[in-house]
Amino acid sequence: MIASPPSLAPSRLRRYGQGWAAGWVRIGRQTQFYIQTIRSIGDALIHYKAEIVRLIAQMSLGTGALALIGGTIVVVGFLTLSAGALIAVQGYNQLAGIGVEALTGFISAYVNVRIIAPVTAGIALAATIGAGATAQIGAMRISEEIDALEVMGIRSVAYLASTRVLTGVIVVIPLYCIAVLMSFLAARLGTTMVYGQSTGVYDHYFNTFLIPTDLLWSFVQAIAMAIVIMLVHTYYGYTASGGPAGVGEAVGRAVRASLVSAVTVSLLVSLAVYGQSGNFHLAS
Amino acid sequence: MALPATLMKPVRGVGEFYAMALDTFMLIPRRPFAWREFFLQCWFITRVSIVPSLLLAMPFTVLAAFTLNVLLFDFGAADFAGTGAGISLAQLGPIVTVLVVAGAAATAICADLGARTIREELDALRVLGINPIQSLVVPRVLAACLVAMLLSAIVSLSTLVGSFFFSVFVQHVTPGAFVAGLTLLTGVRDVVVAFVKAGLFGLAASLIGCYKGISVGGGPAGVGNAVNETVVYSFVALYVINLIITAVQFGGPQ
Repeated sequence: MIASPPSLAPSRLRRYGQGWAAGWVRIGRQTQFYIQTIRSIGDALIHYKAEIVRLIAQMSLGTGALALIGGTIVVVGFLTLSAGALIAVQGYNQLAGIGVEALTGFISAYVNVRIIAPVTAGIALAATIGAGATAQIGAMRISEEIDALEVMGIRSVAYLASTRVLTGVIVVIPLYCIAVLMSFLAARLGTTMVYGQSTGVYDHYFNTFLIPTDLLWSFVQAIAMAIVIMLVHTYYGYTASGGPAGVGEAVGRAVRASLVSAVTVSLLVSLAVYGQSGNFHLAS
Repeated sequence: MALPATLMKPVRGVGEFYAMALDTFMLIPRRPFAWREFFLQCWFITRVSIVPSLLLAMPFTVLAAFTLNVLLFDFGAADFAGTGAGISLAQLGPIVTVLVVAGAAATAICADLGARTIREELDALRVLGINPIQSLVVPRVLAACLVAMLLSAIVSLSTLVGSFFFSVFVQHVTPGAFVAGLTLLTGVRDVVVAFVKAGLFGLAASLIGCYKGISVGGGPAGVGNAVNETVVYSFVALYVINLIITAVQFGGPQ
C-alpha cells in the first residue's frame, strides 16, 4: 500500500480473468455434483429406504411454520387456485371484449394445461420443498453434521441429495394432480359462479378442447422441473458456507437459480413436445 | 380463553407482521430519512434481481408466445400474434416481476436482516437509541417498491422484444402486423395497472422479508428457515394481490 500503485489495467485484467475462471470452475463443480447425485440414486434406494420414507412425509406436509398452514400441499393448491382464478377474470373479460366469452372454458383447458399449472406448480415446488431442502442441508453443513456423516461412513451425497431428488419426483406427482385440479376448479367456479356463465356452455368448450395427451405431457414437464429444482437446491445447501447468515444467502441464491432453470426446462420440454405442429387441431 | 399454542403462534405472527407494517408506514415521513441506506439498498436490490429478471423473462415470454401462437396459427390469425404479446405483457410482466422480487429481493433482504438479528446488531441499534424500523426497514421497503416498478419496465421491454423476435424470426409472423396488433387489446391503462401491481408487489414482498428477517431466531437453521418462509409467504401474498388487482381492473359481473 505504501509503494506507488502499479497501473490498474493488468490487475483489473487479472481479476476479470480470475473471475471468469472461477465461474467455469463453479459450473464444473455443479455439474460434477449433479452427476454424482443422479448416479447415487441407486445407492440411496438400496441403503437409505427409511430416510426416503421420512422425507416423503416431511416434504408433502412441510416442517416448522409451514406445517402450521398445511404444508406444501396447501401452498401448491392455493397458488394454482389463484392462478386459475386469473384465467376466469382476465380470460372471461378479454374474450367478452370481442364477444366470445363462451370460449373461456376452452382457454382454461388450453392455457391451464400448457402454461399455468406446470409453471405455477414448479414455482411453488421451488419455494416450498426446494428452499426447505437448501435450508436443512445448509444448516447441517454449517454445524458440520455433513462432515460427521462422512466420518461415520455414510455416503453424504447419496444420503442427503439423492434421497431428496428421488423424493421430489415421488412427491411431485400427487402435488401436480392437486395443482391441475385446483386450476381447473378455480377457472370453472370463477367463470360460472362469479361471472354467471352457464355451466353447460363452460363444460362443453372445456371438454371439447381438453387434450388428454397434453395433460400427460404436462406431468412430464412437472417431473422434469422437480428434478432440476431439487438438484439445484441440494447443491446450494450442500455447499453453503459462512455461518447462519450464509445459509440464508444460500437459500436466496438457490431460489433465484432454480426459478430460472425451472422455467427454462419448462420451455424446452414444451418446445420439444409441441414443436412446430403444436399438437392442436381445431380446424384441421 | 387461552387458545392452544399451535393455534396462537400463526395468529401472533400475523399480528406482529401487521404491527410492523403499520410502524413502517408511520415512520416513512419521519425525519431524518435514511437516504444513504435507501440508495445502497436500491443498488443492492437491483444488483441481485436484474439478471434473474432478464433470465426469467426470456423463457417465460417465449413459452407464452409459443403457446398463444400455436393457437393463432390454427385459427389462421397469425397476424394477431402482436395482440397475444400485448396480453402476455400485461399479465406476464407483473408475474415475472413478482417472482423476481419475491425470489431474489425479498430473500436477500431477509437473509441480510436475519444475519444482523443473529449477530444482535439490531439490539445494539436499539441501545444506541436508533429505531431499526426507521433506519433499516423503511429504506428497504421504499427501495424495493421503487426497484420493483423499474424492474417491471425492464421486464415489459424484454417481454416485447422476446416475443417480437420469437414470433417474427422463428415463427415467421409479418413484423408490421405484429406491431399493428400490439395495441389492439392492451392500452395505456393496462401498462399503468402493471406498474401499480409491481409497486405493490415490491411493498408486500419487502415487508414480509423484513418481518421474517427481524423476527428470526433459533441457531443456524433459523435464518435458512426464515428465508424459506419468506419465499412461500410472499409468493402466496403476491398471487393474491395479482388476482385482486386484475379483478378490480376488469370489474365484476355485469
